Amino acid sequence: MNKNLELADRGFGYILVAPTFIIILAVILFPITFAIVSSFFDYTLINKSFNNFIGIENYINSLKNERLINSILVTFFFVILVVFFEFILGFFIALLLNSINKFKTVYYFILLLPLLINPIVVGLIWRMFLHPQLGILNFLLSLFGIGEVNWLGDPHMAFTTIIFVDIWHQVSFMIILLLAGLSAIPKEPYEAAKTDGANIIDCFLHITLPYMRPVIVITVLIRLIFAIKTYDLIYIMTKGGPGDSTDLISYYIYRSAFISLNLGEAAAMSSILLLIIIIITIPLFRYMDRLD
Amino acid sequence: MKIVKSLLLISLISIFSFSAKAVTLNAIMENVPDTLFIQELLPDFKAKTGIDVEFEIMGYGEMHPKMIPSLTASTGSIDFMPVDFYWVGEFALAGWMIPLDDYIEKDSFDTSVYFDSMMELVGKVEGTTYMLPFYNYAMGLTYRKDLVADATHQAGFKSKYGMDLKEPTSWDEYMNQVSYFTGNGTKYGVVNQGSKADPVAMEWSNYLYANGGRFHDENWHGELTSDAAKNALADYIHNLNNHGPTGAAAFGFDEAFNVAAQGQAYSYITYNWFMPSYEDASQSGVVGKMALAPVPNNGSLNGAWGWAIPTSSPNADAAWEFIKWVESPEIVAKRALMGGAPTRSDAFNNPEVLAKYPHYGALKNILATAKNFPVFTYTPQFVEIMGTELSKAIIGEKSIDDALASMNSELEALAKKDGLYK
Repeated sequence: MNKNLELADRGFGYILVAPTFIIILAVILFPITFAIVSSFFDYTLINKSFNNFIGIENYINSLKNERLINSILVTFFFVILVVFFEFILGFFIALLLNSINKFKTVYYFILLLPLLINPIVVGLIWRMFLHPQLGILNFLLSLFGIGEVNWLGDPHMAFTTIIFVDIWHQVSFMIILLLAGLSAIPKEPYEAAKTDGANIIDCFLHITLPYMRPVIVITVLIRLIFAIKTYDLIYIMTKGGPGDSTDLISYYIYRSAFISLNLGEAAAMSSILLLIIIIITIPLFRYMDRLD
Repeated sequence: MKIVKSLLLISLISIFSFSAKAVTLNAIMENVPDTLFIQELLPDFKAKTGIDVEFEIMGYGEMHPKMIPSLTASTGSIDFMPVDFYWVGEFALAGWMIPLDDYIEKDSFDTSVYFDSMMELVGKVEGTTYMLPFYNYAMGLTYRKDLVADATHQAGFKSKYGMDLKEPTSWDEYMNQVSYFTGNGTKYGVVNQGSKADPVAMEWSNYLYANGGRFHDENWHGELTSDAAKNALADYIHNLNNHGPTGAAAFGFDEAFNVAAQGQAYSYITYNWFMPSYEDASQSGVVGKMALAPVPNNGSLNGAWGWAIPTSSPNADAAWEFIKWVESPEIVAKRALMGGAPTRSDAFNNPEVLAKYPHYGALKNILATAKNFPVFTYTPQFVEIMGTELSKAIIGEKSIDDALASMNSELEALAKKDGLYK
C-alpha cells in the first residue's frame, strides 16, 4: 500500500515538474541543439536548408580563421582584466560599505546607477564623453594642461578605454553580490579575534576571506561568463576597431551570422565558445563543490 | 429570395469594406530624416486610401537582423521595406523581393524620372525591377565656402600653390586646400570618418574614385592593388594623420559631422543629407558657411535606399499602393521641401525646392555622376573586410600594400563564390 502511495506521489511529482521541464526543453535545449546541428551543415540565411551536410568543415574553417583566433585572444585578455579589476575594486568598496552605517541607501543607489543603465546607452554616453575634441573628459584634462587623449582611435588606448568603461558599468554587480556575502558573516568571530589581539589584516585574512570564499567564487564565475559574452559595448563604441584591437568574440560571431549570413559557421564558432566557457567554468564548479 | 440575396450582398459588402478598413501596413524603417518626414505625411495616405501605416523605427545596425526572420517566414510581419543598396544582391538572390514590373505596368508608373544610377543601384536587378528608389545618400565634398571666398586666403593660396582658390575640381587642388587650411582659418583641413567598418569603407571609396581607381574590372578581377588604389589609401592616411583631428580613426559620421559643424574643419567628404543639418543653428556653428560639391575628379560615391515588397508580405497589393503614393511627384516634392533626399530627378527641377535648398543643384550633378559601390550577394561581408583592412592600414598595423592586397584577394574570393568572377 505504502509502495503504491509512493509511486503515485512520484507520478504526481513528475506531472508537476513536466511543464517546467518542457519549457526548459523548448527554450534552452532546443536552440542549443539546433545551433549544434546547424554547425555541421552549409546552412546560410540565404539558403536555409539542411541539404548539404559538411561534417566538421565549419569547425576547421573557424579554427583556421585568423580573425576568429584574434578575437578569442582579445576576449581572453579583456575578460581576465575586467574581472580582475572589477573584483579588486568591487571587494574594496564592498568592505568599505559594510563598515559604515549612515546613508547606506544613498551609497547603494549611487553605486547601482550604472548597472541600471542599458549597455547601449552606456556606450553612447561614453562615446560622447570621450570625443577627443568635443567630449567632457578631454576638456577636464585640458584644465590640468593635459593634451588631447586619443581614447578610441589608438588600438592600445581603445582596448584600455573599453576595459575602463566596462569596469565603470559592471563593478556595481560585484559590489552588490560581495556586500550581500559580507553582511551574512557573523560578528562573533571578529569579536573573539579582537579579544585575542588580532588586527584588521588578520581579521580579513583569517575570517573574512574564508567566509567569503563561496561568494567570491560564484560572483567571479557569473561575471566571467557575462564578460565573455560582452557585445553591446563594442558594437556601440568601437565596432571592434581600430583594426581588430577590440574585436571580442561575441561581436565577431554576431557579424558572421547577420552580416556574412553564414549561420552554419557562426553556429560552429558559438559551439567553440560554449566549449571554452565550459572548460573555464568546470574547475570553478568543482572548487565550489569542494567548498560545500 | 430577393431579401436573402440582398442580405447576402450587404453582408459581403460589409465584410470586404471591413477588411479594407482594417488593413494596417507594417514596416521597419531607419531612424533618418526621410523616415520622419514620411511619417508626418502618412495622414495624407490614410485619407486617400483608408490604409493605416505603422513604422517601427530603429538604428541602421538593428534593421537587417530584425528583418531577416520576417523575410524568411512564409508569411512575414513586414508589408513593405526600405532596402539599402548593400542588401540588394543578397535579397534578390534569396528571392525575398516581389518583382514590381507588373504593378508598374498596371498603374503606368513612370520610372524614367529616376536617375539611371539610382535605378541601377536600388531599382533593377538583372533587368527585373524589384525596387523603386527611395532616398539617396550619395557622398559629396562639404567645405567652408566662406573661407574659399575670403580674399586674404585667395591671395595666400595663390602665392603658395600657384593656383586659384575655388571649389576644387581636381584631386590635387583639393589636397592642396586641405593642407593650406590646416591651422590656417580652421583648426583642421579635413575631418574623416575613419571608424570601421562602414564609415571608413564608404569614405575611402571616394578617395579611390577620385584617384581614378576602381574596385574591379568587367570580369570582377580585383583592381585594388593598382597605383590609384595605393595613392588613394596613402592620401587618406596622410589627411587623417596630418590634417585631421586626433581620434578621427574611430569617428563615425556623427562624430566627424560634429567637428565640421562646430567650424573646426575646412572640409568633410560625407553624405549629402548633412547639408540641412549644417544650416540648423541648433546643431551647427557654420550656418550659411558650408557648400556641397561633387568629390573632385568625379569621385563621389553613390548610395541609396529602395522601396521593396517582401515575398512574405501579408498585404502586397496595399504595400504597392503605399509605394506608389510615397513616390508620387507631390509627396516626393513635399518630402524634399521638408529637407529629404529624393531620388526622382523632377524634385531637383522644382523651383520651390531649389529656392529653399540651393545645394540641390550640386546634388543633382552628384547623382548624375556618382559611381556605385560593388553590389553583389556579399556586399555587406566585403564592407566588413574592407573596413577592417583600411582600419589596420590607418593605425599602421598593416602596410598599405598588404591591406590592399588582402582586400583585393577577398573581393575576388567573394566574387568567385557569387559566380561573378570570370
